[in-house]
Amino acid sequence: MMGAMTQRAATEGDVPVIELVHPMPGFPDDGRFALVQLDDDGVLHGFRSLDSEGLQFVVIPPAPFFPDYAPELADDVAGELGLSSGNAGDVIVLLVVRAGATLADTTVNLRAPLVINTVTRRASQVVLDDHDLSITAPLVA
Amino acid sequence: MLVLSRRVGESVVIGAGSPDAVTLTVLEVRGDVIRLGIDAPRSVAIHRAELLAEVADANTEAASPPEAAVASLTEALRTRR
Repeated sequence: MMGAMTQRAATEGDVPVIELVHPMPGFPDDGRFALVQLDDDGVLHGFRSLDSEGLQFVVIPPAPFFPDYAPELADDVAGELGLSSGNAGDVIVLLVVRAGATLADTTVNLRAPLVINTVTRRASQVVLDDHDLSITAPLVA
Repeated sequence: MLVLSRRVGESVVIGAGSPDAVTLTVLEVRGDVIRLGIDAPRSVAIHRAELLAEVADANTEAASPPEAAVASLTEALRTRR
């Protein structure tokens, strides 16, 4: 009992816990994640499950790769995450990366970005209504 | 699976009496396309099943890439800069 508690504190102590308001499609049992930096530039991050050992998604901010990407959140989604026009600065959007063998084979999911309220640390992988957004968009053209 | 027959304009209520009740109404039937109206509380996420399956597949493919793939992606992005 004591051991488990100690270990848990060690895992969660240094990185803030992000809670999903809905599980990510395909991963119904994972609700708590931590965001960890993977490279020196702070571009690549790991979205690491605290509920399943070894489960991690590589995520990136869209801006350096898709400067025009500005997903519009439906009111209900924004409401769930506690976002409004008044606190729009409290949100970060990240894209889930499927790391291919090469950079050319690497794709990102533009249709279902990860949206995180940085103040409440509540997050959701939002499936957008926009049909033009690809689930497997090449990271670099 | 519960199977019900409904005509255009008729509805079914799922979770009647609960604050999360969802009302599904058949709006129009044209050939093999049926238009449905869904009245649900904001907290209930509604998506086309095949889209959710696609996102689930994409997540599964993206999940837990091998360390070598992450390292080569990191390197490729660094040299690209």
